[in-house]
Amino acid sequence: MSNKVSRRQFMSYTLMGTGGFMASAMLMPMIRFAIDPVLQSSDGGDFIPTPQKVDELTETPVRVDFTIKDRKDAWYKSDVANTAWVYKDGDTVIALSPVCKHLGCTVNWSGDESHPNEYFCPCHGGRYKKNGENVPGTPPTGPLDEYEVKVEGGLVYLGKTIPNTLV
Amino acid sequence: MNWTTKDMDTYLQQKEYIDTLIVPLLKVETKPELLKNSSSSSEFLMYLTTFLETQFKGRMMLMPPFIYTQSTNLSTFSETLTVDLADMPFKHIFFITTDAQWLSVEIKGQVIWLPSIPLESMDEKLRQTIIEDQLRQVLPRFTEVWST
Repeated sequence: MSNKVSRRQFMSYTLMGTGGFMASAMLMPMIRFAIDPVLQSSDGGDFIPTPQKVDELTETPVRVDFTIKDRKDAWYKSDVANTAWVYKDGDTVIALSPVCKHLGCTVNWSGDESHPNEYFCPCHGGRYKKNGENVPGTPPTGPLDEYEVKVEGGLVYLGKTIPNTLV
Repeated sequence: MNWTTKDMDTYLQQKEYIDTLIVPLLKVETKPELLKNSSSSSEFLMYLTTFLETQFKGRMMLMPPFIYTQSTNLSTFSETLTVDLADMPFKHIFFITTDAQWLSVEIKGQVIWLPSIPLESMDEKLRQTIIEDQLRQVLPRFTEVWST
């Protein structure tokens, strides 16, 4: 048998193997670092898909539920259920946050029989017009926040909340 | 409002608006054969009260749950609670529980008893619907005291 490994050969193979392994362990993160922007998905992952189809939207706000997966709050990892009131104004899709600007309750569209076509807060009777503008004389001091909206593949995607731009 | 420093600061400034106290009463069973049921009802109660809090954040203060085991004497427990909770200036106190025993215990405030529903086998959407349905059932109890 001619393929007998000599003591010297064995030594150099072993050293090359371990050396190579160590070098790659050092180089891999560097390479990943360098090409990271390429690996990242292009559209800022902050938009969350909702089950709401754009075609089904009307001028009347509808409630859209969506879930933010794997939100980390300190050590507590959870899925956060969220809602938005979504309607169409002409061709633009508008999504408003349901969080009352007074003390943070959840508002409902047409939640009060005596004030239809307004958002109503059941806690202290705060009211908002369809575009989120607070009705003067009720507790809230500002308009409802708006969600960033994106339409993709016929579905509504919602992003961060921003101050109301319609009022 | 939750029982956190941040929400507590808001409460202390807005006392006149936040006039309702929600107290979850949670029974923890320690008998091995009841552990599964006990955890399931604890989960249900936590989901429900958390949801309640997000809906009525600006009017309610949600206390951390009061936990007791099966041999706790509920009448002394409720006496202590009644005395101690009276230190806070809340106009309305609601106790929420899945333990039917509370219906026969005298306590200052209203007891809302709900049968526990096993949520663990449900997907998220169904769970949300169930919790909302449950809330819709107890909602009149709140609006009734708020409107007087």
